[in-house]
Amino acid sequence: MADNTTVIGHAARVRGRLTGEVSVSVHGFVEGEITVEGDVTVESSGIVDATIRGRRLVIRGAVRGDLVGGESVGLAEGARVVGDIRAPRVAIAQGALARGAVEAGGEGEASAVGARSQSAARTAASPASRGAPLPAKVVASSPVVRATAKLEVAAPVPIGPATSSAEAKPSHAPARRPPPPVVPILKKAKGQVLKKKER
Amino acid sequence: MASTVIGAGITIEGEITTEEDIVVAGTVRGKLSAKEAVTIESGATVEADVQSGSLAVAGTLTGNVTAGDRVDLQSGARVVGNVKAARVTIADGAQFKGNVDMDV
Repeated sequence: MADNTTVIGHAARVRGRLTGEVSVSVHGFVEGEITVEGDVTVESSGIVDATIRGRRLVIRGAVRGDLVGGESVGLAEGARVVGDIRAPRVAIAQGALARGAVEAGGEGEASAVGARSQSAARTAASPASRGAPLPAKVVASSPVVRATAKLEVAAPVPIGPATSSAEAKPSHAPARRPPPPVVPILKKAKGQVLKKKER
Repeated sequence: MASTVIGAGITIEGEITTEEDIVVAGTVRGKLSAKEAVTIESGATVEADVQSGSLAVAGTLTGNVTAGDRVDLQSGARVVGNVKAARVTIADGAQFKGNVDMDV
């Protein structure tokens, strides 16, 4: 494995896209995108400004970008992550910093690299049984799992909208608020000014 | 501690910069610069301009090379591009197309 693993050394900087079927270990700096079918490890000296997709992700360093794990995402002590985390299993150790949405449970598996058809079949067949053996480590994930179990009919469908709305809320909510109150206030003010002048 | 290795089966599109050695066994497109030695192994594909202390090629390299010290094109190497270095060796069995510019 050591032969086939790609190592970005601690004095190295990569700008661009890393793709492939193997594992990557980052001790240095990567900016762009990492999409591999193997495991990705960001060591404590590693700094990544990129979306990372892989099977199992282990973060000990700093990441700005989304983490999508086909199997799992683990933040070790000392990890600093700003971005959304998605995987069937998510572990955040004490001493790790994370800022962003976390989805542990069925979602990550559906978007896993190279395992879409399998997971779709499993989701449709037994959503309840899949929810049970995952005593999700992150509390936020349990309502999602329960919801899919209750619906049972078309499990993959409600997952999509729920995901997008949850992600959209924080970014869009503040932007939409200002316009409505501004318009009526201006109209009233204009009308009052005009009337006063006429008198 | 850990020098950079671009393993077989991985593709990097973009720019790689390092202060140390780098070994490429996979695919690199874009630009590659290292202060120390660059090794392009047999089976590797590099489509990039390379700037390095020294360079050893056993794989496929398309692009211009500038090395501070030396460039060795080993047997089995396939290089298309201009090579600028103080010392250049081309081994028997290496394919090479381009200009050589040695500091005199």
